[in-house]
Amino acid sequence: MAITEAIAVGQELPALEKEPSQRRIDAYSGVRPRSIHTDEDWARQKGFRTTLAQGMMSTAYVSEMMTRFLGAGFVKGGTMSMTFVKPVYAGDRLTVRGVVKELRPESGGTRVVVEVWCQNQRGEKTAVGTASGLRG
Amino acid sequence: MTEFPKLTYDILTIGETFESDEHLVTPEDVETYAFAVEDHHAWFFGRSPFGGPVAHPTLMANQALHLRHGKYILHAGLHAKMEFTFLQPIEPGMRVRSRGRVIDKYERRGRQYMVTEYVTEDRAGTPLVRGQFTQMLIPEGTRHGDH
Repeated sequence: MAITEAIAVGQELPALEKEPSQRRIDAYSGVRPRSIHTDEDWARQKGFRTTLAQGMMSTAYVSEMMTRFLGAGFVKGGTMSMTFVKPVYAGDRLTVRGVVKELRPESGGTRVVVEVWCQNQRGEKTAVGTASGLRG
Repeated sequence: MTEFPKLTYDILTIGETFESDEHLVTPEDVETYAFAVEDHHAWFFGRSPFGGPVAHPTLMANQALHLRHGKYILHAGLHAKMEFTFLQPIEPGMRVRSRGRVIDKYERRGRQYMVTEYVTEDRAGTPLVRGQFTQMLIPEGTRHGDH
């Protein structure tokens, strides 16, 4: 459910907790041999300690946080720009966070711009960026 | 039988285009995605502000991301950056297709990158999602840690 009260710059969005298990990564990426996402031996050959979650899974997490915050104004009219700065491994625990950084008048409402990031269980940021959506 | 060349930095051409097959978005796609990303929002399974159910906005991003797989054999790659603009909701029952174009390739700190812009459209050609992604190419015979 979207938040209906006033939104202010500096406001924190409710955080999400995510656990990209191997089973969920398999469902997301499709199980294939010679994939760093689903083939552990192959991932190790490529220099990783185990399989990795697809970076795009983190964009889905941010999308969920934004949809819960802004509702329909993210599903239609939303934007997202993310940079992946550290690998997310199967079994990691991620926290997805956001802080409102700008409210910009736009035809049909206000564009709410949010600084977003994902961090792992060691507090390391794995993805950073911005997302926005419209609020009527 | 079509032969797929291996994707290398040298073979990749700025301006070359990709096109996916058409995909029918099914409720099972939405359910699988919901499990994968742990997001079972009620709008994905029942009424939404748009009428019936809608899909996760990022549902078809993998179709776009896999565009190059329809033309090349990929050794390994990592996603570096992604951008999306969600123009219209994706709904179960839609038939969608993604088209992409390589708009840049570059080398930075010994690593090779390709940049692709894309659009996902419904059968009528209505744009649903536009985006851009930057992917790092991991050359064959190397490890990520070797870079």
